[in-house]
Amino acid sequence: MSADDFLQLVTQALYVMLFVVVAVRAAHRPLRANVDVALLFGVCSLIIAIGGITTALRITPPPALAAASGTLLLALPYLLLRLLDDFADVAPWLMRGAAAGLAVSAVLLFALPTPLPDWLALLMVAYFVVLVAYVAIAFVRQAGYSSGVTRSRMQAVAWGSGFLGLTLLAVGFALAWPDRADAWTMLSHLAGLASGLCYFVGFAPPTWLRRAWQEPELRAFLGRAARLPRLPDTDAICRELEQGAASALGAPRATIGLWDEAARVLRFQYTGAVAPAGFSVDARPEAAGRYAVRGGEFELQPGQLLAGVAFAEQRAVFSENATRDDPANTALYEAHGVVAVLAAPITAGERRLGVLVVYAARAPIFADSDLELVRLLADQAAVILESRALIDEAAQVRAREEATRLKDDFLSSAAHDLRTPLTTLLGQAQLLARQARRDALGPAYTAGIERLVREARRLSTLVTELLDASRTERGQLVGRREPVDLTTCAREACERLASERHPCQLVADGPVVGDYDPVRIQQLVDNLMENAVKYSPEGGEVQVRVWQEGAAARLSVADHGIGIPADDLPRLFDRYHRGANVDDRRFSGMGLGLYICRGIAEQHGGRIWAESAPGQGTTFHVALPLALALVAEGGAA
Amino acid sequence: MSPGPILVVDDDPSILDMVAQVLDFEGYPVQTAADGAAALDAVAAARPSLVLLDMRMPVLDGWGFAQALRARGVQLPIVVMTAAQDARRWAKEIGAAGYLAKPFELLELLAVVERLGPRPSA
Repeated sequence: MSADDFLQLVTQALYVMLFVVVAVRAAHRPLRANVDVALLFGVCSLIIAIGGITTALRITPPPALAAASGTLLLALPYLLLRLLDDFADVAPWLMRGAAAGLAVSAVLLFALPTPLPDWLALLMVAYFVVLVAYVAIAFVRQAGYSSGVTRSRMQAVAWGSGFLGLTLLAVGFALAWPDRADAWTMLSHLAGLASGLCYFVGFAPPTWLRRAWQEPELRAFLGRAARLPRLPDTDAICRELEQGAASALGAPRATIGLWDEAARVLRFQYTGAVAPAGFSVDARPEAAGRYAVRGGEFELQPGQLLAGVAFAEQRAVFSENATRDDPANTALYEAHGVVAVLAAPITAGERRLGVLVVYAARAPIFADSDLELVRLLADQAAVILESRALIDEAAQVRAREEATRLKDDFLSSAAHDLRTPLTTLLGQAQLLARQARRDALGPAYTAGIERLVREARRLSTLVTELLDASRTERGQLVGRREPVDLTTCAREACERLASERHPCQLVADGPVVGDYDPVRIQQLVDNLMENAVKYSPEGGEVQVRVWQEGAAARLSVADHGIGIPADDLPRLFDRYHRGANVDDRRFSGMGLGLYICRGIAEQHGGRIWAESAPGQGTTFHVALPLALALVAEGGAA
Repeated sequence: MSPGPILVVDDDPSILDMVAQVLDFEGYPVQTAADGAAALDAVAAARPSLVLLDMRMPVLDGWGFAQALRARGVQLPIVVMTAAQDARRWAKEIGAAGYLAKPFELLELLAVVERLGPRPSA
């Protein structure tokens, strides 16, 4: 086999393989463009088959077969023109002219005896070459309007067409200059191989090539995307993404609908440089009934329109003809010049964020590439919208922290301001009481002044309780820690609170030292003991026990008071909870004391609980970790 | 030489007056000042034996007063009086001998003065 024969064999194999690939694709997705491509290479394969059979049988093809082969060859430019017409405008006169030229050529081929006169053959070659050149140039122009994979594929098709034209041009030259026929034939065969390769790359690019073509596009998109989450709001990000998607696909319009989980609708905005969704508020007043149009927004239910379908079914949707695939909304699509729709769900993991929709006035030629790109862009959009959501969340946390700080500042200064007059009130009343006693003023005066003292104390307790409750709520109760002996705390409280009416008994083997906030631990012990005294009957003994149990410091305070009903026990440590059997007139307080006690115990990494039976008294238990290492969280060490 | 008076420093006039009345009633000599700067002058003029010191004051606050006192080499027990939560910590910061968290009990005030102050005169 000569090199030239081998060259031809490879070229023919390429074309036949390409036909198989595009035919399978057309059968799988019978889009107009796919069918036209299959037709084009079907004709090529037929020409090759005829040539192959006649060569194999070593016969001179009968005139009718030769004429058919020639007609098929001349049909190629017409089929290319048809393909071009699928996604770009081809002047109608040109289509008609090409068809007429093909018809006339066919008649002449079948009617005239072979060989044809040279001038006629050259005329036919010219017809072929001019049309194919036109197609090649048109593809180059269309490539300029698109980007990424589609652009590269169009360029490949343009090159393929150019080489196809050259193939026949070389044949024409061989006819015109027979003395150099060998060279021209060689050129023709080479151009044929080149056109086959280019067409293969254009119409059936291997995956690695697509990835390579996609890479710069993705790189550019990611480069822009990196700063997107910093834009002032989600809407601004969506507008940028829409513009990016439209330009990446060379489509006139792209729009993003965001999923509103609460309302269960997809929301599209009307603002921005790209008219979103292609639906204007006033364009279809009758649509307002079927599609919720509100302010600058357009709402879709999942499943409504092709965008809603893509979202509801969580898959990319392509329609080369929206009015055909979604006939219920024909009027809406037509009113906005929408022919092709590409839609892909924007989903981050399990979180459905929305849908990306690209609208075009014409069906794209490489729908598979475009759909893949839309899917990719939707995934990128999901990443960007998710990072935006994270940024928003972080800002909210910061704002909450700031609000908490302001509240704390406010409470601290409010408490300070309340305590200043209280100091005077309490001090002055107590001074009056001393003066009254010393000067032996009437008992009536003394009782009145004592009441002043009591109320001032009560107000003072309330201020402290409110401030502590607010800190408990925020987990900021515990401050600086240092070694604290629980036994000493209990002894001090016992000595301070014990009286003849309420004896206090301390049971402890020795010091039990842990790393605690000394002020708060004393407050905890005092509070439990004060409660025990408050609710104990006359002469009722209060018993305090301190001991060590494993890695925990333990403290219990037992009284013989009115006890706590079982119903109240679970809510005992809640805010503003007071027992049902507590007489409000006898026992003052807001019901914050035990809530604060629980806060102190828990913020030290410990816990507090109570055992009780009505009429038999109550025992409060506290368990605190001895070592700081056991504490999950807490203040400064 | 009779012991120096108790110097009460507070920018709130009613607290100042109330504390002065209490101490006076119990027989202690008393001096008052409305801010840290006035208190420094009073220290120089009256040579007090104890200072009851509010911390947040205009002109010169409690910290400034304590610092100036130390700079002049004056050895003098101080008791911090404050309505803030940090009474105990602030007392530690300026090396005070004690603290009174407002609102304090009259008996607390008298106990502190009895422990650190001059003998009352009848």
